[in-house]
Amino acid sequence: MSLVVQFLSSIRGFVLDQNGDELRNWLLVENDVANIYWEMSTQLKGSFPANSPALEKLVEKCLPEEDDVPEGKGSPWPGFNSFIKEYLEYWRDVDFDDVVRLHSRLSDLLISCANALANPTYGNMLLQTSMSLSESLSKLVMSLTRQPDLLSQIQGDMTGEESGERKSIVELAADIIQKIFTSCLTDRSSTRWSPPKGKKVAVYLFANLTLKLLFACEKSRLAVQMFTNLSTSGPALSLYPASQRVTFLYYLGRFNFDHGHYLRAHMCFEEAYRQCLPQFQKHRRQILTYWIPANLLLGRFPSWALLQRPEAAGFADIFLPICGALRSGNFVLFYQALTINRDWLWDKGLYLTFLYRLKPLVWRSFTRKTFLITWQGAGDGGNRAASLSFEDLVTTAGYVQKLLEGYLPAKPATRSRPPPHINTIFLKAVTNSAAGGETGESDSLLVPPPGGPRRLMPSEGLIFGNKKPDLENIESVVAGLVYSGLLNGFIARQQKRFAVEGAKKKGGNAVAAGWPNPYESILERFKEAHQEALDACDSGESMEPPGEMDDIPGWVRNPP
Amino acid sequence: MASSQATTKKDDKAAAESKPEQQQAAEQKPAALEEDDEFEDFPVDDWEQDETEAASGGAAQHLWEESWDDDDTSDDFSAQLKEELKKVDASKKR
Repeated sequence: MSLVVQFLSSIRGFVLDQNGDELRNWLLVENDVANIYWEMSTQLKGSFPANSPALEKLVEKCLPEEDDVPEGKGSPWPGFNSFIKEYLEYWRDVDFDDVVRLHSRLSDLLISCANALANPTYGNMLLQTSMSLSESLSKLVMSLTRQPDLLSQIQGDMTGEESGERKSIVELAADIIQKIFTSCLTDRSSTRWSPPKGKKVAVYLFANLTLKLLFACEKSRLAVQMFTNLSTSGPALSLYPASQRVTFLYYLGRFNFDHGHYLRAHMCFEEAYRQCLPQFQKHRRQILTYWIPANLLLGRFPSWALLQRPEAAGFADIFLPICGALRSGNFVLFYQALTINRDWLWDKGLYLTFLYRLKPLVWRSFTRKTFLITWQGAGDGGNRAASLSFEDLVTTAGYVQKLLEGYLPAKPATRSRPPPHINTIFLKAVTNSAAGGETGESDSLLVPPPGGPRRLMPSEGLIFGNKKPDLENIESVVAGLVYSGLLNGFIARQQKRFAVEGAKKKGGNAVAAGWPNPYESILERFKEAHQEALDACDSGESMEPPGEMDDIPGWVRNPP
Repeated sequence: MASSQATTKKDDKAAAESKPEQQQAAEQKPAALEEDDEFEDFPVDDWEQDETEAASGGAAQHLWEESWDDDDTSDDFSAQLKEELKKVDASKKR
């Protein structure tokens, strides 16, 4: 008996027993298989040439549809036989050195498997095989995306997309895996809120596999449809094993982080972290890598207790300098803190987010600092309203801009011993100042460096590159801070000042009134936005009800 | 294709599945900063909630600092800003 017939005979046995585990163990596709697969491949090449109907006939003969299937037993079905025929063709034609062809054959094979899986009576037994083939295709695609030469070969090879738009291989693979995901999602063996049965048991396994692929290839936006489908008809996440829950919430958090929903990201990461066993340090570290940034962007800092946990090893060196710069409003330290760990931050996709999205928080502290050193109090009668002069802000911002451009002190600083947190650029500037002399602009402590000011990238300046901050810039920065709730008050344009509101309520503490707690302010702004959406819905301006504040698309919690 | 093939495969798989249990001990050491970006598969499928922080009142633990208030203006940065304001103010009066 040929190996092919032996193979088919074993497969038939597993089908009759509905043994999904053995089907997966036998229907292997990677090149680390036992020699017997290679021997079967040789036999297939010799006996079943392409375009001959012989193979199909053999499959039909060895895997006949059973007439009377006893309870608990299975039978081959047409979709399964097509898949098995394609599987044997795969081993007949496979050449692991020709990745372009390998990719195409493996994709076709998985599509065929997905079609067979869709069978409502017996499809379930292919769940494990679908998973293992999906993993193999993901692995191949992820490895191909790291090899641009091969990738261009494959993408150049794909022609004839109807709309003229060509999908990337990541999208194509994700589409196939999502097809399996949908097949699991729409399985009717169990409801949304009851323990999953049938193909429904694999909903989050395939969701997680798709997400892993999309994130590895930086295509997370393609996950939108999947999250929408889950929100509409997905089973409750709490019904699934902890490993699937934690993995799913990690990716959902990453997705929301990537799309600027930091509060939602925080909620996902918090739950993922809390449900992850403490001994899975590597996983908890991955979660913390984005959970800490999500909180920084919401105006909260990691505590010492958190940074001292083993999974946070080394994070203090990265995040504490950033926290220090945010607290002090020191832009020089802020840019330094990002530059020192630029490679790590860039690698994690955090660098640009921090650079642009944390800047308003530095401005918040910087305006606060300028107020602290310029506000003289309410005067003798206590009648003067607390306010911050834009002229003063132009001066302090101009000073910082000069520091960023490499300006040096016109004369050495008089302090005998700098405090330990003195910024290094300033220290260096002081050391170099002997060369600077008393020349330069007399209305500033700083003079241009020899060779002229440093040319800044647009992102490196306070406003935009080397643009010197003026009244207009300052007014718009302050307006932005007021709008986002980070400053509490209004702009008195005539007086060119920011006027603090609500000082009386804070017992006359103008600083506390004008510069409320950032985290609370940001949360308040979310609540306002949610209320605005509710109002818009009530007044008929928007048809889409916003749901609860803590609703997160894709996260199916308890029954409504 | 003898069924022993599949049995061997299965045994290998079982061995592979038990390995991560041993690796857990190795994971106790502090992770370095250079790490893989991938969120790896968990070595076990499920665990009891009472073994996690979610059950041990994790929320009560102090993980985040919300306080920003740093009213100290004696630091070097504040001193520089003060000096600059003074100097600019003086030059305006001239």
